[in-house]
Amino acid sequence: MKRILFVTLSLIVSYTAVFCQNKIPQPDKSPMDMSYYPDNFPLLKIQEKAKEPLIARVVYSRPQKNGRVIFGNLIEYGKLWRSGANEATEIEFFQPVKIKNYKIKKGRYTLYTIPDSSRWTIVLNKETDIWGSFKYDKQKDIMRIDVPVEKQTDAIESFSMFFEKSAIGFSLQITWDDVKVSLPISL
Amino acid sequence: MIFMYLQKKITRLFLLCCISIAFLFSCKYNIKQDNKAETLTKDSLPAKEKINPYITNDKSPLDISYYPQEYPVLRMNGTDSGKLVCRVIYSRPQKNGRIIFGNADKSLCIYGKEWRLGANEATEIEFFKQVNINGNNINKGRYVIYCIPYPDKWTIVINSNLYTWGLHMDPAKDIFKTDVPVTQQFPALEDFTMVFKPASYGADLLMAWDNVKTVLPISFSK
Repeated sequence: MKRILFVTLSLIVSYTAVFCQNKIPQPDKSPMDMSYYPDNFPLLKIQEKAKEPLIARVVYSRPQKNGRVIFGNLIEYGKLWRSGANEATEIEFFQPVKIKNYKIKKGRYTLYTIPDSSRWTIVLNKETDIWGSFKYDKQKDIMRIDVPVEKQTDAIESFSMFFEKSAIGFSLQITWDDVKVSLPISL
Repeated sequence: MIFMYLQKKITRLFLLCCISIAFLFSCKYNIKQDNKAETLTKDSLPAKEKINPYITNDKSPLDISYYPQEYPVLRMNGTDSGKLVCRVIYSRPQKNGRIIFGNADKSLCIYGKEWRLGANEATEIEFFKQVNINGNNINKGRYVIYCIPYPDKWTIVINSNLYTWGLHMDPAKDIFKTDVPVTQQFPALEDFTMVFKPASYGADLLMAWDNVKTVLPISFSK
Protein backbone atom coordinates (compact mmCIF):
# COMPACT_ATOMS: atom_id res chain seq x y z
CA MET A 1 0.00 0.00 0.00
CA LYS A 2 2.77 2.43 1.00
CA ARG A 3 4.63 1.59 -2.14
CA ILE A 4 1.60 2.24 -4.31
CA LEU A 5 1.06 5.52 -2.48
CA PHE A 6 4.64 6.55 -3.08
CA VAL A 7 4.54 5.62 -6.77
CA THR A 8 1.26 7.49 -7.34
CA LEU A 9 2.42 10.57 -5.51
CA SER A 10 5.67 10.73 -7.43
CA LEU A 11 3.73 10.20 -10.65
CA ILE A 12 1.47 13.14 -9.84
CA VAL A 13 4.39 15.35 -8.94
CA SER A 14 6.24 14.58 -12.15
CA TYR A 15 3.05 14.88 -14.20
CA THR A 16 2.20 18.33 -12.86
CA ALA A 17 5.84 19.35 -13.09
CA VAL A 18 5.89 18.41 -16.76
CA PHE A 19 2.74 20.42 -17.35
CA CYS A 20 3.95 23.46 -15.49
CA GLN A 21 7.37 23.51 -17.11
CA ASN A 22 6.17 22.81 -20.61
CA LYS A 23 5.35 26.36 -21.55
CA ILE A 24 4.87 25.28 -25.11
CA PRO A 25 3.16 28.04 -27.03
CA GLN A 26 -0.34 27.32 -28.29
CA PRO A 27 -1.17 28.23 -31.90
CA ASP A 28 -2.06 31.92 -32.17
CA LYS A 29 -5.67 32.97 -32.45
CA SER A 30 -4.55 35.43 -35.10
CA PRO A 31 -2.11 33.30 -37.08
CA MET A 32 0.95 34.81 -38.68
CA ASP A 33 1.46 34.85 -42.43
CA MET A 34 4.01 36.06 -44.98
CA SER A 35 3.56 37.64 -48.40
CA TYR A 36 6.29 38.29 -50.95
CA TYR A 37 6.97 40.40 -54.00
CA PRO A 38 7.26 38.76 -56.46
CA ASP A 39 4.12 36.97 -55.27
CA ASN A 40 4.81 33.37 -54.15
CA PHE A 41 8.57 33.89 -54.52
CA PRO A 42 9.67 30.79 -52.52
CA LEU A 43 7.57 28.49 -54.74
CA LEU A 44 8.79 30.17 -57.92
CA LYS A 45 12.37 29.87 -56.66
CA ILE A 46 12.31 26.11 -56.18
CA GLN A 47 10.61 25.69 -59.58
CA GLU A 48 13.25 27.98 -61.11
CA LYS A 49 10.48 30.20 -62.45
CA ALA A 50 11.35 33.41 -60.62
CA LYS A 51 11.84 36.12 -63.25
CA GLU A 52 12.73 38.86 -60.79
CA PRO A 53 14.78 38.78 -57.60
CA LEU A 54 13.04 38.91 -54.22
CA ILE A 55 12.18 42.56 -53.53
CA ALA A 56 9.85 42.69 -50.55
CA ARG A 57 8.32 40.57 -47.81
CA VAL A 58 5.73 41.33 -45.18
CA VAL A 59 5.30 39.28 -41.96
CA TYR A 60 2.01 39.97 -40.20
CA SER A 61 -0.70 38.38 -38.08
CA ARG A 62 -4.22 37.80 -39.32
CA PRO A 63 -7.03 38.65 -36.91
CA GLN A 64 -10.59 37.75 -37.98
CA LYS A 65 -13.67 39.93 -38.29
CA ASN A 66 -15.90 37.53 -36.34
CA GLY A 67 -19.01 39.60 -36.93
CA ARG A 68 -17.50 42.76 -35.52
CA VAL A 69 -17.41 46.19 -37.16
CA ILE A 70 -13.68 46.70 -37.62
CA PHE A 71 -12.74 50.22 -38.67
CA GLY A 72 -14.06 53.10 -36.61
CA ASN A 73 -15.00 50.56 -33.93
CA LEU A 74 -12.53 47.78 -33.03
CA ILE A 75 -9.75 49.79 -34.68
CA GLU A 76 -10.38 53.41 -33.74
CA TYR A 77 -9.99 56.08 -36.39
CA GLY A 78 -6.95 58.27 -36.01
CA LYS A 79 -5.15 55.83 -33.73
CA LEU A 80 -1.87 54.07 -34.54
CA TRP A 81 -2.44 50.37 -35.28
CA ARG A 82 0.05 47.49 -35.46
CA SER A 83 -1.50 46.48 -38.83
CA GLY A 84 -2.54 43.05 -37.65
CA ALA A 85 -2.27 41.43 -34.24
CA ASN A 86 0.42 40.32 -31.77
CA GLU A 87 3.84 41.54 -32.96
CA ALA A 88 3.74 44.72 -35.03
CA THR A 89 3.85 44.01 -38.78
CA GLU A 90 7.31 43.74 -40.30
CA ILE A 91 8.11 44.75 -43.86
CA GLU A 92 11.47 44.00 -45.41
CA PHE A 93 12.96 45.37 -48.61
CA PHE A 94 15.75 43.34 -50.16
CA GLN A 95 16.81 46.26 -52.35
CA PRO A 96 16.22 50.05 -52.15
CA VAL A 97 12.70 51.12 -53.17
CA LYS A 98 10.77 54.36 -53.58
CA ILE A 99 7.42 55.09 -51.97
CA LYS A 100 6.12 58.40 -53.36
CA ASN A 101 8.96 60.84 -52.52
CA TYR A 102 10.61 58.65 -49.93
CA LYS A 103 13.73 56.68 -50.76
CA ILE A 104 13.63 53.57 -48.60
CA LYS A 105 16.87 51.72 -47.93
CA LYS A 106 17.16 47.95 -48.02
CA GLY A 107 16.26 46.58 -44.58
CA ARG A 108 13.62 45.62 -42.05
CA TYR A 109 10.98 48.08 -40.84
CA THR A 110 7.83 48.07 -38.76
CA LEU A 111 4.72 48.98 -40.73
CA TYR A 112 2.17 50.86 -38.67
CA THR A 113 -1.05 52.31 -40.02
CA ILE A 114 -3.42 55.02 -38.82
CA PRO A 115 -6.81 54.12 -40.32
CA ASP A 116 -9.43 56.81 -40.91
CA SER A 117 -12.77 56.89 -42.71
CA SER A 118 -11.51 58.18 -46.07
CA ARG A 119 -7.71 57.77 -45.89
CA TRP A 120 -5.07 55.84 -44.00
CA THR A 121 -1.65 57.04 -42.95
CA ILE A 122 1.03 54.44 -43.59
CA VAL A 123 4.04 54.69 -41.28
CA LEU A 124 7.42 52.99 -41.67
CA ASN A 125 9.45 52.91 -38.46
CA LYS A 126 12.98 51.69 -37.74
CA GLU A 127 12.12 49.98 -34.42
CA THR A 128 11.58 46.28 -35.25
CA ASP A 129 10.75 43.09 -33.29
CA ILE A 130 8.21 44.82 -31.09
CA TRP A 131 4.76 43.87 -29.81
CA GLY A 132 1.76 46.00 -30.73
CA SER A 133 1.92 49.76 -31.12
CA PHE A 134 2.19 50.57 -27.42
CA LYS A 135 5.87 51.55 -27.46
CA TYR A 136 5.76 53.51 -30.70
CA ASP A 137 8.53 56.09 -31.04
CA LYS A 138 7.77 58.79 -33.62
CA GLN A 139 11.48 59.75 -33.68
CA LYS A 140 12.15 56.43 -35.43
CA ASP A 141 9.73 57.05 -38.30
CA ILE A 142 11.32 57.04 -41.73
CA MET A 143 8.13 57.56 -43.74
CA ARG A 144 4.57 58.78 -43.31
CA ILE A 145 2.23 58.95 -46.28
CA ASP A 146 -1.53 59.08 -46.79
CA VAL A 147 -3.38 56.69 -49.07
CA PRO A 148 -7.10 56.76 -49.96
CA VAL A 149 -9.59 54.16 -48.69
CA GLU A 150 -11.40 52.00 -51.22
CA LYS A 151 -14.68 50.48 -50.06
CA GLN A 152 -15.45 46.86 -50.99
CA THR A 153 -18.84 45.23 -51.21
CA ASP A 154 -17.78 41.82 -49.85
CA ALA A 155 -16.39 41.96 -46.31
CA ILE A 156 -13.04 40.22 -45.82
CA GLU A 157 -13.02 37.89 -42.80
CA SER A 158 -9.25 37.60 -42.22
CA PHE A 159 -7.02 40.65 -42.31
CA SER A 160 -4.89 40.31 -45.49
CA MET A 161 -1.74 41.89 -46.86
CA PHE A 162 -0.26 41.03 -50.23
CA PHE A 163 1.77 42.53 -53.05
CA GLU A 164 0.52 43.18 -56.56
CA LYS A 165 2.37 44.15 -59.73
CA SER A 166 1.59 47.66 -60.93
CA ALA A 167 2.51 50.08 -63.75
CA ILE A 168 5.11 51.84 -61.58
CA GLY A 169 6.45 48.70 -59.89
CA PHE A 170 4.22 47.05 -57.35
CA SER A 171 1.90 47.84 -54.49
CA LEU A 172 1.18 46.53 -51.03
CA GLN A 173 -2.54 45.82 -50.70
CA ILE A 174 -3.98 45.96 -47.20
CA THR A 175 -7.54 44.78 -46.70
CA TRP A 176 -9.97 43.81 -43.94
CA ASP A 177 -13.73 44.00 -43.55
CA ASP A 178 -15.09 46.38 -46.23
CA VAL A 179 -11.92 48.47 -46.49
CA LYS A 180 -8.93 48.24 -48.80
CA VAL A 181 -5.90 50.49 -49.15
CA SER A 182 -2.97 50.30 -51.52
CA LEU A 183 0.61 51.48 -50.92
CA PRO A 184 2.39 52.24 -54.22
CA ILE A 185 6.03 51.12 -54.37
CA SER A 186 8.50 51.67 -57.22
CA LEU A 187 12.06 50.57 -57.79
CA MET B 1 -10.39 -11.82 1.63
CA ILE B 2 -12.87 -8.96 2.05
CA PHE B 3 -10.15 -6.79 3.47
CA MET B 4 -7.94 -7.35 0.41
CA TYR B 5 -10.85 -6.61 -1.91
CA LEU B 6 -11.57 -3.37 -0.06
CA GLN B 7 -7.91 -2.42 -0.16
CA LYS B 8 -7.87 -2.89 -3.92
CA LYS B 9 -11.01 -0.76 -4.28
CA ILE B 10 -9.60 2.00 -2.11
CA THR B 11 -6.31 2.01 -4.01
CA ARG B 12 -8.17 2.33 -7.30
CA LEU B 13 -10.31 5.15 -5.97
CA PHE B 14 -7.22 6.90 -4.65
CA LEU B 15 -5.48 6.59 -8.01
CA LEU B 16 -8.52 7.99 -9.79
CA CYS B 17 -8.68 10.93 -7.40
CA CYS B 18 -4.99 11.65 -7.87
CA ILE B 19 -5.27 11.58 -11.64
CA SER B 20 -8.28 13.92 -11.57
CA ILE B 21 -6.41 16.32 -9.29
CA ALA B 22 -3.45 16.27 -11.66
CA PHE B 23 -5.79 17.04 -14.56
CA LEU B 24 -7.38 19.87 -12.62
CA PHE B 25 -3.95 21.35 -12.03
CA SER B 26 -3.03 21.15 -15.66
CA CYS B 27 -6.34 22.70 -16.73
CA LYS B 28 -5.90 25.55 -14.30
CA TYR B 29 -2.49 26.14 -15.77
CA ASN B 30 -3.84 26.23 -19.30
CA ILE B 31 -6.56 28.68 -18.40
CA LYS B 32 -3.97 30.95 -16.87
CA GLN B 33 -2.00 30.89 -20.09
CA ASP B 34 -5.07 31.79 -22.14
CA ASN B 35 -5.90 34.72 -19.91
CA LYS B 36 -2.39 36.02 -20.31
CA ALA B 37 -2.64 35.81 -24.07
CA GLU B 38 -6.03 37.52 -23.95
CA THR B 39 -4.74 40.60 -22.18
CA LEU B 40 -1.84 40.86 -24.59
CA THR B 41 -3.87 40.63 -27.75
CA LYS B 42 -6.97 42.72 -27.48
CA ASP B 43 -7.84 42.36 -31.12
CA SER B 44 -7.34 38.60 -31.39
CA LEU B 45 -10.40 36.41 -31.27
CA PRO B 46 -10.88 32.70 -32.03
CA ALA B 47 -10.04 31.63 -35.55
CA LYS B 48 -12.80 30.87 -38.02
CA GLU B 49 -12.36 29.06 -41.32
CA LYS B 50 -13.59 31.28 -44.12
CA ILE B 51 -12.53 31.60 -47.69
CA ASN B 52 -10.49 34.68 -48.38
CA PRO B 53 -10.48 35.84 -52.02
CA TYR B 54 -6.92 37.19 -51.71
CA ILE B 55 -4.97 34.75 -49.58
CA THR B 56 -6.51 31.77 -47.83
CA ASN B 57 -5.63 31.09 -44.21
CA ASP B 58 -2.80 28.58 -43.95
CA LYS B 59 -3.65 25.15 -42.61
CA SER B 60 -0.25 25.21 -40.95
CA PRO B 61 -0.07 28.75 -39.63
CA LEU B 62 3.17 30.65 -39.45
CA ASP B 63 4.63 31.51 -36.05
CA ILE B 64 7.68 33.25 -34.68
CA SER B 65 9.81 32.52 -31.60
CA TYR B 66 12.44 34.80 -30.13
CA TYR B 67 15.38 34.62 -27.76
CA PRO B 68 15.17 36.32 -25.30
CA GLN B 69 11.75 34.63 -25.04
CA GLU B 70 8.82 36.92 -25.86
CA TYR B 71 11.31 39.62 -26.80
CA PRO B 72 8.71 41.89 -28.51
CA VAL B 73 6.51 41.77 -25.38
CA LEU B 74 9.51 42.56 -23.15
CA ARG B 75 10.29 45.51 -25.42
CA MET B 76 6.73 46.72 -25.18
CA ASN B 77 6.80 46.47 -21.39
CA GLY B 78 10.24 48.05 -21.22
CA THR B 79 11.51 45.05 -19.25
CA ASP B 80 14.00 43.70 -21.80
CA SER B 81 17.35 43.34 -20.14
CA GLY B 82 19.37 41.99 -23.00
CA LYS B 83 19.63 42.34 -26.73
CA LEU B 84 17.84 40.24 -29.32
CA VAL B 85 19.90 37.09 -29.99
CA CYS B 86 17.86 34.99 -32.39
CA ARG B 87 14.47 34.33 -33.86
CA VAL B 88 12.90 31.54 -35.85
CA ILE B 89 10.01 31.84 -38.34
CA TYR B 90 8.32 28.52 -39.01
CA SER B 91 4.96 27.00 -39.89
CA ARG B 92 3.03 24.80 -37.48
CA PRO B 93 1.48 21.69 -39.01
CA GLN B 94 -0.84 19.57 -36.84
CA LYS B 95 -0.63 15.85 -36.10
CA ASN B 96 -4.31 15.28 -36.99
CA GLY B 97 -4.11 11.62 -35.99
CA ARG B 98 -1.31 10.88 -38.45
CA ILE B 99 1.93 8.98 -37.85
CA ILE B 100 4.54 11.74 -37.95
CA PHE B 101 8.03 10.23 -37.66
CA GLY B 102 8.79 6.79 -39.06
CA ASN B 103 10.01 4.81 -42.02
CA ALA B 104 6.67 3.48 -43.12
CA ASP B 105 5.24 4.92 -46.33
CA LYS B 106 2.44 6.32 -44.21
CA SER B 107 4.55 8.51 -41.96
CA LEU B 108 4.81 12.18 -42.74
CA CYS B 109 8.50 12.71 -41.93
CA ILE B 110 10.56 9.77 -43.13
CA TYR B 111 13.70 8.67 -41.29
CA GLY B 112 16.82 9.69 -43.22
CA LYS B 113 14.99 12.22 -45.41
CA GLU B 114 15.26 16.01 -45.15
CA TRP B 115 12.38 17.73 -43.42
CA ARG B 116 11.77 21.50 -43.51
CA LEU B 117 11.01 21.63 -39.75
CA GLY B 118 7.48 22.80 -40.31
CA ALA B 119 5.41 23.35 -43.44
CA ASN B 120 5.20 25.67 -46.44
CA GLU B 121 8.35 27.80 -46.72
CA ALA B 122 11.66 26.43 -45.42
CA THR B 123 12.08 27.42 -41.77
CA GLU B 124 14.14 30.55 -41.28
CA ILE B 125 16.47 31.17 -38.35
CA GLU B 126 18.23 34.47 -37.78
CA PHE B 127 21.11 35.15 -35.41
CA PHE B 128 21.58 38.79 -34.45
CA LYS B 129 25.08 38.07 -33.14
CA GLN B 130 27.66 35.33 -33.63
CA VAL B 131 26.71 32.10 -31.88
CA ASN B 132 28.35 28.73 -31.38
CA ILE B 133 26.62 25.40 -31.92
CA ASN B 134 28.41 22.25 -30.76
CA GLY B 135 31.83 23.87 -31.20
CA ASN B 136 31.15 25.61 -34.52
CA ASN B 137 30.86 29.36 -34.89
CA ILE B 138 27.83 30.53 -36.85
CA ASN B 139 28.10 34.11 -38.09
CA LYS B 140 25.44 36.70 -37.45
CA GLY B 141 22.86 36.43 -40.21
CA ARG B 142 19.82 34.70 -41.60
CA TYR B 143 19.74 31.01 -42.52
CA VAL B 144 17.45 28.15 -43.43
CA ILE B 145 17.28 25.45 -40.76
CA TYR B 146 16.13 21.92 -41.57
CA CYS B 147 16.59 18.46 -40.14
CA ILE B 148 17.07 14.83 -41.12
CA PRO B 149 15.14 12.80 -38.55
CA TYR B 150 16.20 9.32 -37.34
CA PRO B 151 14.67 7.22 -34.56
CA ASP B 152 17.34 8.18 -32.00
CA LYS B 153 18.82 11.43 -33.34
CA TRP B 154 18.13 14.33 -35.67
CA THR B 155 20.74 15.84 -37.93
CA ILE B 156 20.18 19.59 -37.77
CA VAL B 157 21.37 21.48 -40.84
CA ILE B 158 22.03 25.21 -41.22
CA ASN B 159 21.80 26.20 -44.88
CA SER B 160 22.12 29.45 -46.86
CA ASN B 161 19.45 28.87 -49.53
CA LEU B 162 16.97 31.39 -48.15
CA TYR B 163 13.41 32.27 -49.24
CA THR B 164 12.57 28.87 -50.67
CA TRP B 165 9.58 26.61 -50.36
CA GLY B 166 10.57 23.75 -48.05
CA LEU B 167 10.36 20.84 -50.48
CA HIS B 168 13.75 21.28 -52.14
CA MET B 169 16.71 21.57 -49.83
CA ASP B 170 19.95 22.35 -51.63
CA PRO B 171 22.71 20.38 -49.83
CA ALA B 172 25.35 22.32 -51.82
CA LYS B 173 24.37 25.32 -49.69
CA ASP B 174 24.65 23.53 -46.34
CA ILE B 175 26.82 25.49 -43.95
CA PHE B 176 26.84 23.34 -40.87
CA LYS B 177 25.47 19.99 -39.65
CA THR B 178 25.19 18.59 -36.16
CA ASP B 179 23.43 15.65 -34.52
CA VAL B 180 21.17 16.04 -31.52
CA PRO B 181 19.58 13.18 -29.56
CA VAL B 182 15.84 12.47 -29.67
CA THR B 183 13.94 12.34 -26.39
CA GLN B 184 10.37 11.29 -25.77
CA GLN B 185 7.71 13.95 -25.58
CA PHE B 186 4.79 13.15 -23.33
CA PRO B 187 1.93 13.88 -23.81
CA ALA B 188 2.13 13.91 -27.63
CA LEU B 189 2.10 17.42 -29.11
CA GLU B 190 -0.60 18.23 -31.66
CA ASP B 191 1.13 21.30 -33.15
CA PHE B 192 4.73 21.31 -34.27
CA THR B 193 6.57 23.69 -31.95
CA MET B 194 9.90 25.52 -32.01
CA VAL B 195 10.76 27.63 -29.01
CA PHE B 196 13.89 28.99 -27.35
CA LYS B 197 14.61 28.28 -23.67
CA PRO B 198 17.32 29.87 -21.56
CA ALA B 199 20.38 27.68 -20.82
CA SER B 200 23.58 28.21 -18.80
CA TYR B 201 25.61 28.56 -22.03
CA GLY B 202 23.02 30.67 -23.86
CA ALA B 203 19.80 29.15 -25.15
CA ASP B 204 18.31 25.90 -26.31
CA LEU B 205 16.16 25.68 -29.41
CA LEU B 206 13.51 23.13 -28.52
CA MET B 207 11.84 21.36 -31.44
CA ALA B 208 8.92 19.11 -30.61
CA TRP B 209 6.10 17.34 -32.37
CA ASP B 210 4.03 14.25 -31.65
CA ASN B 211 6.01 12.25 -29.08
CA VAL B 212 9.45 13.42 -30.23
CA LYS B 213 11.53 16.25 -28.83
CA THR B 214 15.01 17.49 -29.70
CA VAL B 215 17.08 20.33 -28.34
CA LEU B 216 19.72 22.32 -30.23
CA PRO B 217 22.16 24.00 -27.82
CA ILE B 218 23.17 27.53 -28.85
CA SER B 219 26.04 29.22 -27.01
CA PHE B 220 26.78 32.92 -27.11
CA SER B 221 28.45 35.58 -24.99
CA LYS B 222 26.01 37.32 -22.69
